[in-house]
Amino acid sequence: MAWLDELSAGDIAAGVAAGDFSAVEVTQASLSAIDARDGEIAALIESCPELALDYARRIDERKAQGQELGCLAGVPVSFKDNMQLIGTHTTCASRMLEGYESVYTATCVQRMLDAGAIPVAKANMDEFAFGSSTETSAFHPTRNPWDTERVPGGSSGGSAVSVAAGEVTLSLGSDTGGSIRQPASFCGVVGLKPSYGAVSRYGVVAFGSSLDQVGPLGRSVSDVVLAMQALTQAGRDRLDSTSQDCQSDFCGTLNQGVAGGRVGVMRELIEAEGLSDEVRDGLKRSIATFESAGAEIVDVELEHLTSAIAAYYVIGPAEAFSNLARFDGVRYGYQEPDCETLAEQTAKSRAHGFGIEAKRRQMLGAYLLASGVYDKYYYPAQKLRTLITDDYNKAYERCDVILLPVAPTCAWKLGEITNARQMYLSDMFTISNNIAGNCGISVPVGLGSASGMPLAAQLQGPAFGDATLLRYAHALESEVGALGVAPAFFGKGGEL
Amino acid sequence: MKTLEEVLVDWEAVIGLEVHTELTTLQTKMFCNCKLSHDDEPNANVCPVCLGLPGALPVPNEEAIRSIVMAGLATNCDIMPRSMFYRKHYFYPDMAKNFQTTQGPVAFCMHGHLDLEVVGQGAAERPDASIDKKDDGSYVTPVRILRIHMEEDAAKMVHVGGKEGRIGGAAESFVDYNRCGTPLIELVTEPDLRTPEEARLFMEKLRETFLALGISDCSMEKGSMRCDGNVSLRRRGAQEFGTKTEMKNINSFKNLHDALEYEICRQAEVLEEGGVVQQETRHFEPSKRRTMVMRVKETADDYRLFPDPDLAPFDLSDEFVEECRARIPELPDAKRERYMNDLGIKSSDAALLAGTPATAALFEEAVAVTDGKHAPVIANVMVNLLPGYSCSAAQIAALAGLLAEDAITSAQAREVLELVSGSDADPVAVVDERGMRQTTDTSTLEPIVDAVLARCGEQVQQYRDGNKKVLGFLVGQCMKEAQGSGNPKLFNQLLASKLN
Amino acid sequence: MPLTRNDVAAIADYARIALDDDELTAMCDYMNEAVDLLEPILEYELGAIEPTYHPIGGLSNVMSADEVDSDVRALSLDDALKNAGAREGRNFRVPSILGDDGGDR
Repeated sequence: MAWLDELSAGDIAAGVAAGDFSAVEVTQASLSAIDARDGEIAALIESCPELALDYARRIDERKAQGQELGCLAGVPVSFKDNMQLIGTHTTCASRMLEGYESVYTATCVQRMLDAGAIPVAKANMDEFAFGSSTETSAFHPTRNPWDTERVPGGSSGGSAVSVAAGEVTLSLGSDTGGSIRQPASFCGVVGLKPSYGAVSRYGVVAFGSSLDQVGPLGRSVSDVVLAMQALTQAGRDRLDSTSQDCQSDFCGTLNQGVAGGRVGVMRELIEAEGLSDEVRDGLKRSIATFESAGAEIVDVELEHLTSAIAAYYVIGPAEAFSNLARFDGVRYGYQEPDCETLAEQTAKSRAHGFGIEAKRRQMLGAYLLASGVYDKYYYPAQKLRTLITDDYNKAYERCDVILLPVAPTCAWKLGEITNARQMYLSDMFTISNNIAGNCGISVPVGLGSASGMPLAAQLQGPAFGDATLLRYAHALESEVGALGVAPAFFGKGGEL
Repeated sequence: MKTLEEVLVDWEAVIGLEVHTELTTLQTKMFCNCKLSHDDEPNANVCPVCLGLPGALPVPNEEAIRSIVMAGLATNCDIMPRSMFYRKHYFYPDMAKNFQTTQGPVAFCMHGHLDLEVVGQGAAERPDASIDKKDDGSYVTPVRILRIHMEEDAAKMVHVGGKEGRIGGAAESFVDYNRCGTPLIELVTEPDLRTPEEARLFMEKLRETFLALGISDCSMEKGSMRCDGNVSLRRRGAQEFGTKTEMKNINSFKNLHDALEYEICRQAEVLEEGGVVQQETRHFEPSKRRTMVMRVKETADDYRLFPDPDLAPFDLSDEFVEECRARIPELPDAKRERYMNDLGIKSSDAALLAGTPATAALFEEAVAVTDGKHAPVIANVMVNLLPGYSCSAAQIAALAGLLAEDAITSAQAREVLELVSGSDADPVAVVDERGMRQTTDTSTLEPIVDAVLARCGEQVQQYRDGNKKVLGFLVGQCMKEAQGSGNPKLFNQLLASKLN
Repeated sequence: MPLTRNDVAAIADYARIALDDDELTAMCDYMNEAVDLLEPILEYELGAIEPTYHPIGGLSNVMSADEVDSDVRALSLDDALKNAGAREGRNFRVPSILGDDGGDR
């Protein structure tokens, strides 16, 4: 007998391929873990046992017929609920899309399925990904499995929690300004935001089209690497105009170490006031780890880093307004009953279908794009984006990756931060990476001595330096050690 | 109200056009691979992209981009080295995303021009001396094209429960997204047109050009080519533009002319009575030949235009542009010149033949059948006799051959057409079987002429007294004598020579 | 100059989001605070710098072939109308438009 909690994605795929257990058995273990655990943490919006078992049976049939199995054969996966998957609802955690039935499947989801992954659930999120705590979900907040009084981060909070609590082995999230890395950091899992264009966005409900990127969350770097392999090995997606080839031998280069490499740091940032001592200690531990692994630590500067947050709060809302304009209650989505005119129906459907944060961002976006205002904020924001990208390019002439905090603190308590400004500022270390289209990853670096909560370091790399980034993340993880399933949930259901 | 001619003596009309053309000859939509719908059932050709489903993303249709580049080259535009798609936002269910993907300040094609040759009665609409007119009153005027940009068409909406499908008073509307996402190019002229006739001719020329390029069926009736016209008046000699009104979705060349004519006269009346022209959008009612206010424009609409982040920019290579250029067939103007200069076709016939690709192709095929002989006769057959009939190039060539040899008369040619149209019958065989061939042997005809002259002494005297018209009567008598088989042209010649 | 209630009401009208009086007040406060946060943007001299609208490096001219792929993505009528709030036969149904022509386009 085994516990799903103890198995990596690679273990599961190998076990299914070897016939140690069937994909159906793994799926049942995942479903039983969900039954036993999700009540407390509410990571999921919907689990789909029938769909999951259906996919699992297909894997087992392939196995029985001696056909080759994918690199994720039998691996139970959750998908953030902004990803289309036929046979499920895709709600974006919004009343606007409550009951919305997917009629097509996102490319990223399809590629995971093609690699043999089992779709067991759709994960909770901040409504339309607007948030950093998963508290803005219209359905329910999600709780941190390391301390259920605390938030899991967001917006891919459900994805991070479903992995951290051992409900699934891998999850796909999306990251517009830190929405994979920050919840990964809060929940003690690995979360990768690949380079913009590395993973197709087709079928993922858009927030900020030039910022959004889909990426995997897992309990180890090697699990995340397997997912990246699955997501990128078929090359660019012809359904996404911004998609590019990111094929690489991620697995092959993973263990090559970092000796002779260079890690960039910004000392003043590590010493900055807003950072909690725990987070600072975690970063210093990471620096020491890289040094002992033979990497050189070099000082780098990102001159326009702090302006990135302002640029983000122009570009993000502007694109969000545009992307969410389609939700008018005509073709799909909440439709206000008993309206006499189209204008009334549209305005009321949008007023009552969207939550407050979704309305705020769209209002801000509609303002920022207005003629006259556009030239004041939007146009300069896109110019700042050029400067931020240049800063990074210069920095990457001196180093392979840059070490940064993910968030200034560990996970906060539910309801603790209600001030939008404070919530925004918590994203300042992750946002610039989305602005530039670069890759970034959150790697757990132990538990906080005071809080007992997971801490993380962020590594960032240049666009399409994903394989190198993962190699550094793996080196760090190898020394520090992965956290595994949150102890309070380990072994509750999930028997295999 | 004054007539157009009266108004244009004192006033100068300043007209600009915006022409939308659907690229109907493509297989698929602009940003997805849905089949282009023509007469399919509602919502038969839709996918996540053109239905604007959450998460769907656009990918531009390469052939559509090639088509607009060809359109740009054919209208002497610059193909811009870098351009982008933009999003233009408005909330209306005919656009599935509540924004239209279109282009921003830089379109694929910018700064072109077409030269219009205005002939005949239409040329008289322009009375001003500022333009050089030829002796016959015709003139050539250049029309600058501001831009041609690429965009997507909207869904079709049907309004029900109100009066006759109009929006006003309709209780509800049905939306069919088949047309949503159809590739659409929008051409915007500079305000260089001065008369309704020039506007009509510009549209005709544009239509002929796009038809030749094969990028659209250009049907104004079906709406695959649509035209908005804007017009303002200013006193002759004035530099500043007046306030313009806009006329939407005019669905025929004639309506374009008539709507502009009405609007020019209406504006002149308003201005001459001391009033001001309101900036507004007007709707042309063809049955009443007048325009009516649709809506008054108080403030400029703000569409929150910004570069579409989902669509990579374009920097079309010289190679791409040259490939497009190589695909441009001979355009109507060049064709017409060639027909006139190389084949000796008269100007008006050449223009008619060159204007429609299918007609031009048929003409050239018929000319090829005769090895280049009788081209003017073939042109004459096609322009004057053929309309209403359906014949192959070989049939046309044969018919032209018979006419050229004076073997049949024009009237007989029509009879032959009647008999061979829609079949593969050989006109020569038909003429021979029916004994229609005209006798062209003078030795057979001369005795007939002599007999008639002998019989009609009275008419001969009248002719000699100066009544030349009587010759027609004498030809008729000859024809009667010959029981229809004599060639009237030859009779004519013989009679004339004998009488003089 | 801060946004007034009227400014915000006009934006809400444009963005088709119905707001009652209290919501309008709250939205007005939010928007002014959010716009304040954008101040850093105004501090830079950005004259000659080219904007980056797409963080995709030199990627350009992305196009797809003009080929129907009806088996791949086209939706059945059922799927097309599946999530619609109101339909009529093969069509989506919307209430009276009342002169709302969606503007000039």
